[in-house]
This record gives sequence, structure tokens and C-alpha cells, in this order.
Amino acid sequence: MSKFKKDSGKSVPGVNTSSLPDIVFMLLFFFMVATTSKEVDPTVEVEQPEGTKTTDLTPFKQRSEIDFLYLGEPRNPARAADFKLGYALSLDNVVQATADELYTTNAVGQWKQDKFEEKKARITVPIEAVITCIKADKGAPTGLIFDIRKELQEINALTIAYAVRDKGNI
Amino acid sequence: MSKREIPEINAGSMADIAFLLLIFFLVTTTMDRDQAYVRNIPKKIEQVTDPVEVEERNNLAVKANSRNQLMVRNEIIQNPDEISEKVVEFYRKNEKKNDPTNNYPMYSRVSMQTINDNIARIEAEVEDLESQPDVAPEIIDFKYNQLGEWEKKKRSLQLYGGRELPEIHFQANIRIEVQIATDYELFAKIQTEIEEAIFELRDDESKRIFGESYATIKARYAQDQENVDKDKLDLLDILYPARIIEVTPKK
Repeated sequence: MSKFKKDSGKSVPGVNTSSLPDIVFMLLFFFMVATTSKEVDPTVEVEQPEGTKTTDLTPFKQRSEIDFLYLGEPRNPARAADFKLGYALSLDNVVQATADELYTTNAVGQWKQDKFEEKKARITVPIEAVITCIKADKGAPTGLIFDIRKELQEINALTIAYAVRDKGNI
Repeated sequence: MSKREIPEINAGSMADIAFLLLIFFLVTTTMDRDQAYVRNIPKKIEQVTDPVEVEERNNLAVKANSRNQLMVRNEIIQNPDEISEKVVEFYRKNEKKNDPTNNYPMYSRVSMQTINDNIARIEAEVEDLESQPDVAPEIIDFKYNQLGEWEKKKRSLQLYGGRELPEIHFQANIRIEVQIATDYELFAKIQTEIEEAIFELRDDESKRIFGESYATIKARYAQDQENVDKDKLDLLDILYPARIIEVTPKK
């Protein structure tokens, strides 16, 4: 009589996958907590320069005390000639620059004012403290940024932020 | 009739649903944060008065032209990384001892006596103004602001520990002068360098006085908003003020 039984024809039992949803849910929750929602893809091409010792804007974003505007090359290179110095401004995903000046940087003040009126009830700070964050392309001429600054100064929106990509504290 | 068993719900597709959700979140969210340099634009003034004369020694002009060439204090610089060293030098040169022969901003040393005298003086002025019938409220507000400044200095000196609070000349400023066609990359680089230099100065001082880094105090203040940390940050701000002027380009 042998001590070992022969496993005659018995198949390997299947792996129990009943905890798989739990694992996936855990991952899901991690990503929900650790990430922030993406803004709409800007209609202009923006490659940000690098910088260090920056301020993290996430708290302002959470309190919606911030508006973003983009300054970059238009996605369609053929249109570049329509814009001042070849760079277009994207306010809320609308490329705001045509030759007739209607949508050039002069529109910034109006845009900012509208944005502020819209969320006035939800935020506690005055317009002076609502940040306008400019996400500009590496090659964008700085003169355009000063044009935007001038428009913001006109309507008394006095806090501005120059966006860069943080390369960490090396 | 025998007891009928409730059939178990098949949870096999639960994982699929969870995966679907997971992938949705992976696609629509982003890990990277928005990082930026926050600056204030000066208020618009109706009446333009003649600019105040600023001594050359109090200026640190960082100039960049349309060909992205740099000049700091009238000295051409090849490598933009050198800007932060220049900024540190600007603050450090006369910090320990004023030397009138060099071309850097002077420091004044404020003693507790001076601070107390000023507080007493302004308090008397406020009392005087409030007793008068028709004084514009702006003037009283202005006086209260002044009073607040001096009280801030008083707390700072107590924290600083020494007999006197070293203070850089009130006109000492960093000017960024660019041209219209200067690349934003270079402009951002100048901002980075200035920010780095001021961080370094404040961090050194913070480690010396409080034994902890500037970043730690700043992060903790952002979290808890405690007055202890606010006073510490105020002190570092008084020692190394970041007065950055961005000049609107004309050409």
C-alpha cells in the first residue's frame, strides 16, 4: 500500500478572484484622491518652461480663486500670421485673437470681469486677490504678457501668476 | 415544500465595472500640479507723479533684450544661473557692516527703543486725529496700517533675539527689465533665479534662528495658519524683502 495518493485526473482548482473587485476599487479610490481633474485641453500649443521654488496653486484651484489663460502658438500653423507676433491667446478654450482686435488681449479684462461676476457668490475674496494664471509657451514674447497685465490692471485684478513646470527641489 | 434558497448574485463582472471606472479616472485626471510664481500688479494710478529718485546702489536691474542676452547691474552675463548669486550678493554685501564705498544698498539697524518710540508717536497721532471732527477715514486707516507695521517689527525683533533688527534700505529693489520680443522662457528663468536667491537667504536665516528650514515653516503655516509661524515668516520677510518690479517693455 502506497503512502501517497495518486492525483488521478484531478484538475487544478481555479484561482479565487472574488477579491479582485476590492483590489481594483482600492486603486480607483487612490487615483480619485491623488489626482486632480484635467482642464480642457487648450486650443493653443503650450510647452511650459521649467522653474523651481514655485507656489503650488492647488489650494487656490480648490477654492476656485483662480482663472487660467493660455498663450501659445495656434495649433494650425497657417493661422499664425493672423495673430500678434504669431502667438494666440486662449480664454476658456476659444482662441481669442483675430486681426480685427476684437478678440486680442483687450478682451482679457472683459473675460476676467465676467468670470468674477459669475462666481462672486461662491468666493470670499475681492477681485484684487483672484489669481489670473498665465500659462505661456517657452517662446512666447514677454511683451504679450505685459499686454495682459495692463488689461488686468485696468479692471483692478491685481494678482497674477506665471506658470512654469516645477522640476522639483534638486 | 422545502425551503428554497435565494440564488447568489454573480459578482464576477464587478471587477470589470471597477476597471472601467478606474480607467475613466486615469484618463480624465492628471497628477501634475499647477505651479507658478505669484506676483502682484501695482494698482492703477490716475495721476502720474514724477518718479522718486532712487540711488543707484539700491537698484538691482536684471535686463534682457530681444536677443535673449542678459545684463545684471550693467554687467553682461552669459549664464542665467549666475543671477541668483548676484541677488544673494546684493542682499549680503552690507548686511553685517555698512561700507559706503561699495555700490550696494545700506542696512539700517532698528533698536527696540526706536520701535517703541514710533508706536507711541503714532498712537498719539491716531488719538489726536480721532478726536477731531472731520478727518478723512483714509488718513486714519493709513495711520493704523503704519501702527501695524511697527508692531510687526516689534514682534520680529523679539523673535530675532538681537538688540537691533537689520533692515535693508527701503528703496532696495529688484527690477526686471525685458523687451517685447524676449522669450517667456528667459523671463521665467529670471523669476526662478530671484525666487531661488531669496529662498536661500531666508532659509539660511531660518535655520540659524529657528533651527528649521524655511520650506517647513511655510508649509506648516499654509496648513495650520498659526500665529507663531506667521511671526516667523514676517521676520524673514522683513530681513529679506522681495521687492520685485517688473518694468513694462517699450520696444
